[in-house]
Amino acid sequence: MSGTRSTKKTTSTTRMTRRECLQTAAAAGAAVLAPTIVPASALGRGGAVAPSERIVLGAIGIGARGEFDLGWMLPEKDVQFVAICDVRKVRREHVKKLVDKKYGNSDCKMYADMREFLATRSDIDALLIATGDRWHALATIMAMRAGKDVYSEKPSCMTIAEGRAVVQTARRYGRIYQTGTQRLSEANFVAAIELARTGRLGKVHTARAHIAPWDAADMNHSWLPGEPQPPKEEVDWDTWLGPCPWRPYNSAYIHGSWRGHYDFHTSCIGEWGAHTFAQSQAGIDVLNTSAIEYRYVKNDTGDGMVTKFANGVQMILQRDGWHGSCGMKFEGTDGWVTIADNYEKPEVSSPSLLADADKLVAEYMERTKRPMNHVRNFFDCVKSRQHTVANPEVMHRTMSTVHAANICMWLKRDMHYDPVKEEFLNDEEANRLRSRAQREPWII
Amino acid sequence: MFRTLVSLTVLCVLVAAATPRSYGQKPQASPKDEEAKLIAVLKSDAPRKAKADACRELARVGTRESVAPLAALLCNEELSHMARYGLEPIPDPAVDTALRDTLEKVKGRLLVGVIGSIGVRRDPKAVAPLVKRLDDPDSEVVQAAARALGRIGTLDAVAPLEKALSSTAQVNRIAVSEGLFRCADVLRSQGQREEAQAIYEQLRTAGVPEYVRSGATKAEDAIRPRGR
Repeated sequence: MSGTRSTKKTTSTTRMTRRECLQTAAAAGAAVLAPTIVPASALGRGGAVAPSERIVLGAIGIGARGEFDLGWMLPEKDVQFVAICDVRKVRREHVKKLVDKKYGNSDCKMYADMREFLATRSDIDALLIATGDRWHALATIMAMRAGKDVYSEKPSCMTIAEGRAVVQTARRYGRIYQTGTQRLSEANFVAAIELARTGRLGKVHTARAHIAPWDAADMNHSWLPGEPQPPKEEVDWDTWLGPCPWRPYNSAYIHGSWRGHYDFHTSCIGEWGAHTFAQSQAGIDVLNTSAIEYRYVKNDTGDGMVTKFANGVQMILQRDGWHGSCGMKFEGTDGWVTIADNYEKPEVSSPSLLADADKLVAEYMERTKRPMNHVRNFFDCVKSRQHTVANPEVMHRTMSTVHAANICMWLKRDMHYDPVKEEFLNDEEANRLRSRAQREPWII
Repeated sequence: MFRTLVSLTVLCVLVAAATPRSYGQKPQASPKDEEAKLIAVLKSDAPRKAKADACRELARVGTRESVAPLAALLCNEELSHMARYGLEPIPDPAVDTALRDTLEKVKGRLLVGVIGSIGVRRDPKAVAPLVKRLDDPDSEVVQAAARALGRIGTLDAVAPLEKALSSTAQVNRIAVSEGLFRCADVLRSQGQREEAQAIYEQLRTAGVPEYVRSGATKAEDAIRPRGR
C-alpha cells in the first residue's frame, strides 16, 4: 500500500494500479519469456490479497505485549509484516523467527536503530509501536513524520504535552493512528457504552473506572543498582532510555521493572486508566475533552478519587468492584451497567436492559463502520483514511484525564483543569508537570 | 582526615535534606527553604543521582534563584539534560538568557538539547542564533533548530525556514517542514491567516514527500475563507 490509498478509487480509471501493472507485466513476460511463472498469490488469486491491496507492516519494540498484538495482526490477509526494529537483539531475533515461521521464508529484516529503520524503509505503510511507555509518543511522532500510520500500545504518552504533540503530528501529516485501548472494539464493552450513551440508563450521573489494583499512584525516583552494561549490539541502553533521564543499566528494567518509576511509568492510574478512562469517557460522551475537576483522596493509590466533566457527570476511580480487569460501570437515573474482562456479558440493574444489547452493538457497527476487532479497525482506516475508534484526539483527551489525576495525587490537592487551554487553573506547580524536558537527542 | 570527615558529613546532610520525595509528600520546609536545599545539592560534591533528583525537584519549585546553579550544569555531559529538565518550566526570562548563552558553549548532543529547550520556551530573541544553526554541518543540530524555530513561530523565523526548505540536505527537509507547519500553527493562533496560508502554499509545492504536501494542502483548505 502506498501513501496514495485515498485516491486509489478515483484514479483507477485513468491510471494503472499496482495490481494492473503486475498483471500487465506478467502477461508481457509470459509472451516474451515463456514459461516464466508468476505465482497466483502475487496477482491476488487463490484467496491471497494482491500486493496493491496489502498493508506493509513493521514494528518498533516488541516485547510480550507487542507479540500479543502481532498475534492479532499477522493473520490479517491484507497485512504483510516485513521488518522489526528493537534495541534488544534477543527480541529482534525472536520476532524475526516468529514472522519467518508464519510466512515460511526468511524475509523479515531486523534493525537496531530506529532512525535508520525509518529513513530506509519507505516501503512500510504502518507500524506497530509496543515499546515501553516512555517511547510510545516519541516513536509515534518520528514514525508519522516518516509517513507511517501507527498503532501504538497504551499508555500512549507520558505527559499532556506529548499527547498534544501526537495529535498535531497526525494532523500535519495526515496519518492514521490507533492507540491500543482494544476494549473500545469489544462487543461487551461497546454494549455497555452504548447502553449509557443512548439513554437506556436514564440520565447517567456517574461512571466508575477501574485502576490497576497492584500498584500505587506515588512513583519512585530510585535507581536500581548498576550492572555491567551489555554491548550495544545486545542492548542499546542509551536508546532504551530514550528521552528519559539517564540512569545506570540494570537488566531488571528491560524485563519489565521499569514500572513504578516516575521516569518510565504513569502509575496505577495510567496502567489501566489508559483503557478505562477511554471506555468511561466514551459512555458519557466526552471523548473530545478531559475532566475539569479532580478531588484529591488521602491514600497512595487514587482509589476513590472523584473527577468531574463539564457536562456534570462524575467519574470515580476504583481499585475494586469488578471480578475481572479494566472494568467500568455507568450509573443512571434508570439503572446501571457494569463490565470488565472475562464477563460473559455486561451485568445490569435489570435484565431488560440487555434485551437489545446485540442490536445496540450491531447498530453501533453499522453507524460507525467499525468492526469488533481493534487491529482490524486500524487496518480498515489505513485503507479508507477514516478516523479510528481510538484516534489521536481520543487518546490525548483521555490520557490528559489520566495525567491530571496523577498530578492531583502527586501534589496532594484538588485540581481544576481547563481542557480548552489545556492548563490547570491557578496552579503553576501543576502546570509545570504537564511536560518534561526530553533527553537529547530525542527531542520532538 | 578531619577535613575529609567534615566534608563528608556536610555532604550527607545536604543530600539527606534534599532527598527526593514522591511528589505530594507534604513539603517539610517552605518552598523557599526547599529550593535553597536543592540548590545547595547542585553546588556540592553530591553524586550524579542526587544532583539529577535535585534538578527534577527544581523543575517543580525552582525560581530565578535556581537559574544560575542549574545553568552552570548545561555544559556538563552528565547533567546537561537534567539541568534543562530543571530550567525548562521555570517562568523567568533569566532561563532564556542562560540557554541562549549556552548555544556557543556546547556542541553535538548537548547543543541539540539546548536548542530543544529554547524551542519549548519559545524564546523570540533566539531566532537569529537558531537561524545560524540551519547551516550547521551536524544534521541533528539543523533539525533541532528548524523545529525550535517553528515553535517560536514569529515571522522572522519563517523566511529562513522557507529558504532552507529548498536548500538544506534532503535528510533535514522533514524537520524544516515541521518547523514551517509549527510556524503556521502559531500564526493561525494569532489570527495571521494569510501568513499561515503562504506557508502552506510553500509547503504544498516543495520538494518534500507527498504526505507532507498533502498535509499542507489540507491545512490550507481548512483555513481558506468559505463562500456562502
